[in-house]
Amino acid sequence: MDRLHTMGTQTDWVVMIVYLVAILLFGSYFSKYNHNTTDFFFGGRRFSWWLIAMSIVATGVSSHSFVKYSAKAWEYGFSSSMTYMNDWFFIPFFMFGWLPIVIYSKIRSIPEYFEKRFSPSARFFVTILQLLYLVGYIGIGFLTMGKAILPLMPPSINLFGIEINITLMGLIIVIAFVTGAYTTFGGQIAVLFTDLVQGFMLLLAGLMVFIIGIDYVGGWHTFWNLLPTDWKLPLAHFNKPSDFNFVGIFWQDGIAGSIGFLFMNMGLIMRFMSAKSVNEGRKAAVFNILFMLPVSAIVVSGGGWIGKAMSMLSNSPIPANTQPDFIFVVVANIIMGPGIFGFVIASLAAALMSTVNTLLNACSAVYVNDVYGPIKVWLKKRNKNDKVDEKRALLVARIATVAFTVLGVLAVIPFSSYPTVYEAHGYFHSTLTPPLVIAIFLGVFWKKFTPAGVIATVIGGISLMILGAYYPGVLISPFDHGTPMDPVHPYTYIGALYNTLVCLIVGVIVTLLQKQFISIANRIKKGSSHNLIIVTMIILSSMIFSMVIFNIGGVQFLFIASLFMTLMISLISTYYIKYDPVIKTEGLTAGSIHRAKELFKGSKLNEREGDIVKVNWKLREDDEDFINLSKHDMNKMYAEEGDLVYVTDARKYLGGLKSFHSRFGKPHNEEGIIYISREHVKNGLLIKGRPLTAEKEM
Amino acid sequence: MPSFFNTWLPFIYLYGVGGIFFFTGMILIRKLKGIDMRKKKHRFWWKVMFFGYFYFMLIHAILIIAALYW
Repeated sequence: MDRLHTMGTQTDWVVMIVYLVAILLFGSYFSKYNHNTTDFFFGGRRFSWWLIAMSIVATGVSSHSFVKYSAKAWEYGFSSSMTYMNDWFFIPFFMFGWLPIVIYSKIRSIPEYFEKRFSPSARFFVTILQLLYLVGYIGIGFLTMGKAILPLMPPSINLFGIEINITLMGLIIVIAFVTGAYTTFGGQIAVLFTDLVQGFMLLLAGLMVFIIGIDYVGGWHTFWNLLPTDWKLPLAHFNKPSDFNFVGIFWQDGIAGSIGFLFMNMGLIMRFMSAKSVNEGRKAAVFNILFMLPVSAIVVSGGGWIGKAMSMLSNSPIPANTQPDFIFVVVANIIMGPGIFGFVIASLAAALMSTVNTLLNACSAVYVNDVYGPIKVWLKKRNKNDKVDEKRALLVARIATVAFTVLGVLAVIPFSSYPTVYEAHGYFHSTLTPPLVIAIFLGVFWKKFTPAGVIATVIGGISLMILGAYYPGVLISPFDHGTPMDPVHPYTYIGALYNTLVCLIVGVIVTLLQKQFISIANRIKKGSSHNLIIVTMIILSSMIFSMVIFNIGGVQFLFIASLFMTLMISLISTYYIKYDPVIKTEGLTAGSIHRAKELFKGSKLNEREGDIVKVNWKLREDDEDFINLSKHDMNKMYAEEGDLVYVTDARKYLGGLKSFHSRFGKPHNEEGIIYISREHVKNGLLIKGRPLTAEKEM
Repeated sequence: MPSFFNTWLPFIYLYGVGGIFFFTGMILIRKLKGIDMRKKKHRFWWKVMFFGYFYFMLIHAILIIAALYW
């Protein structure tokens, strides 16, 4: 480890500090565009697809990052790229199921969807899972950042005569402070715009390492021939070894990870929520998966591949004791000149920061919308339909960001026990995503899925998952596809298959038994001792869940007890929750997207596709939310009074930063002129004299 | 020469099992009317989604062949 300290030169440090300060200032500049929590969290639902796509690259690439993929590339070759090339299977579900529902239902968080679709109690359980997922992700981000920067630091520094040892945890605390401060004041708009720059820088840095590295080892031909055949294969060995095998990673990343990333990663969902329309969101998703992810696979793994080729040279410059997680930094240091190495590391650190920023922002969004808001309503300090005090909500969001930064640092502790970040992340994904993934998936695509089904999926599913973690040899091994079980970290990846299956089976069975549960619940309600029966079932369920958590009793007993507990929880949920499947599925399932659009608009849809018109604006001295275009322009747009319209500054390179949504008002006769209100000018950040374009939405 | 477990078995599993999920999704969005084939934009996305599946399949097949024979 000693040799992996104090890398880089003074020039590198200067470059790094200048880069990070520039990014901070750039992000802070955009904080002025946050007027309310919608801007702070979602960027005001106004941006073009390319800005969203670039921003997703910075988040996706950095979260899956140089450190962990270079580590696996160094150990196993080109198959490190497989996680970047297996995200297409769920794109139909996402583009024509989840994405339109997220946008048209106007939800501000995933838990809010669960309240609308099921019940407040379903929202409560999902909020807990969602926050655990996000905080865990932040922990992984901090750990990765620490591992990327640690090799650059000296073993200790002398501050005012005090010798301070630089440890991984100490470094992570400093990083967390900077990241938390930046997100607290910047919000989503700052994140989006810094991501745009960072997305480019990241791709540039990764490609530079790969291209300069190939030149270093003697050109493409030499590079290709240095690598053994096994390392050139794009997919790993089917089921060996335990720390990197195809089938485990397929279920952990390709299935649980892909659905998790597309359906429940609030950071990503918020990116799509900031898109100006569903179609722009689709463009961003497709562009990202088809083009950016394959490029990103090279960008993030390149350091490891070059490192492996270097290690095959007769005078290998790679230190013998290099740990996989440090390979990217080691390779970059060897092949880059002073200053360029600093740039590469700065863009890596900045990109990781951007991932963590997004997640912190998502955490505070979930907190404000799903914890702070409902608690206020519950304590009767506010009516459900009252307007939110925006200033107060923004302050709460900022305080929450600080709190989640601290929790993120604490989450680093369990993950640091894994040999590589890749395995820590793999275990995290296969454990935390299945219950929520199944709950969302069945909620969106299965109209019959009930609140009892969701709650049973979460509690019963988690109970069976905990048992799987305690008894992997009994419960997970039947699904292991021949992958060996590592006794220290058993079934890190293939565990995802077992976890997903048990959650799915619980959700489906409970929903299919719904009629029986309703009938039993009604009989209990009619009985004189209904309170006693329900309280007894709650106590029994809590006892069984505690026994599962603390592993009291054998696997057979606990497994049967978990099933029994799941049935009781389903019955309790059915007893308490009033659920009208007609109201609760309207506009909230994939089968009712047309209705979702009608609810979004508030009237009948006008889906004739018209032209986009370019117009000059004139101010109307009021604050009403409608615009006035000429009859001629409205005809060109096939627009009618009351239709929704998107108006933006005509300069396309702004990506929708200066824009607003409104409705068509009464037409006038001044062709090429749009009348807008003072509120539109303020929210759209419009500049006098600049032409606008108007586009009918629906 | 790497074994079948290292070359084509992962490929078949990826596009076989992954394909089950993908085509189920395609059928489901048609059945649930999430996608409306009367709309020009939706017809375009329908083709893009099919294209994506075979695009990744082709990339992986080429990379396996390149690793084995080039």
